[in-house]
Amino acid sequence: MNAAASASIAAALLAAAAAAHAGRSCESRPPRVDGVERSMLLAQHTADALERSGAQVVALARIGQNLGAYGVRFSHMGLAYRETRDGRPVWRVVHKLNQCGSAQAAVYRQGLGEFFLDDLFEYEAAVVVPAPEVQAKLLPALRDNARLAQLHTPAYSMVAYPWAQTYQQSNQWALETLAMTQEPAATTRARAQAWLQLMGYTPTALHLTAMQRLGGRLTAANIAFDDHPNAKRFSDRIETVTVDSVFTWLNRAGLAGPVELIR
Amino acid sequence: MNSMSFRRAAVAAVLSLTLACAQAQTAASELSVLSALPIAVSVAAPVLLLSAGASLTVVAVEASATGTVCVLERASDGARASVRFGAQAAQQLSVAAGTALVVTAVSTGWVLSTASAAVAFIPNEIGAALLYNERVTR
Repeated sequence: MNAAASASIAAALLAAAAAAHAGRSCESRPPRVDGVERSMLLAQHTADALERSGAQVVALARIGQNLGAYGVRFSHMGLAYRETRDGRPVWRVVHKLNQCGSAQAAVYRQGLGEFFLDDLFEYEAAVVVPAPEVQAKLLPALRDNARLAQLHTPAYSMVAYPWAQTYQQSNQWALETLAMTQEPAATTRARAQAWLQLMGYTPTALHLTAMQRLGGRLTAANIAFDDHPNAKRFSDRIETVTVDSVFTWLNRAGLAGPVELIR
Repeated sequence: MNSMSFRRAAVAAVLSLTLACAQAQTAASELSVLSALPIAVSVAAPVLLLSAGASLTVVAVEASATGTVCVLERASDGARASVRFGAQAAQQLSVAAGTALVVTAVSTGWVLSTASAAVAFIPNEIGAALLYNERVTR
């Protein structure tokens, strides 16, 4: 399909979709007992591993679904930190969650249990331990709700463009918030993104056909492509922030160690 | 009755209204949704009532200002337990008087389930340390 034909079909279908209110209610699928058990066990193992690591702050990821077709392993990441409650160490994860397939998302602080209490595709966690100086700059921000909200954009698209500010997906929020804590001048999303470009962060390019894109926009409120540059959209290159790309970059830039897996 | 309080009323109190639909994970559009299994804040029960394989029946579901209390009765001897849920978690609770439940003991607590699905999680001390829920942004 050539770009012009693809664009005109897109326009027609998007208009129809807009009229029909692109979006859908979430299907409620009750959790299974073994899923709850395995999720909580993974949370327990992760807590143990994080205690042994000696770290105060880590980047933590889960495998919520099979993204192998896109060359991506981990679906969702948060920033986890250690604190003491009633004299005992606990780990909290700050991460951004999409609300029921809507076009909105919010930042949450949760336990490791909630982080993994999901219908996971694989019961495996990935941890990346940042360099000590990176951790030291992250830690106060992760405890501070105002700083966690500073670069948060509620408008959500699962495939938000990494170098725009129209939408913000979950992994993008974590990455930009990390940038904000490392570079004092990165006080806005645009500046955080500029720092990430300067530091050599490279997003994942998903190769989505026009029909896959249209299918996405028509059936889900939380997928949009209108923040992507036309030249990339219509050449089937959809760039977005993935966990895998963040972990690879952190290690390459000397900001964190390698990926460690926890089962 | 032994009373186990996990001293963390926040465990289930801050679940947002949006939880109603958050379990879906089937579509490619839902990478980052919120989990919705109701998590108990506290439980008052005879020590052995929450034992693996125990068959319980929901006797009553009582709403109050501080949340919802589920009264459970063990089929074998009529022993009863009260399990309290925070107000928001209670909205997710899909049981009513007469619902039959089975207890599954796991390393982090107990899972209450119907024949088809887990309906609530009661953390022990290990589980309680792993659970916390706070919405940071509106």
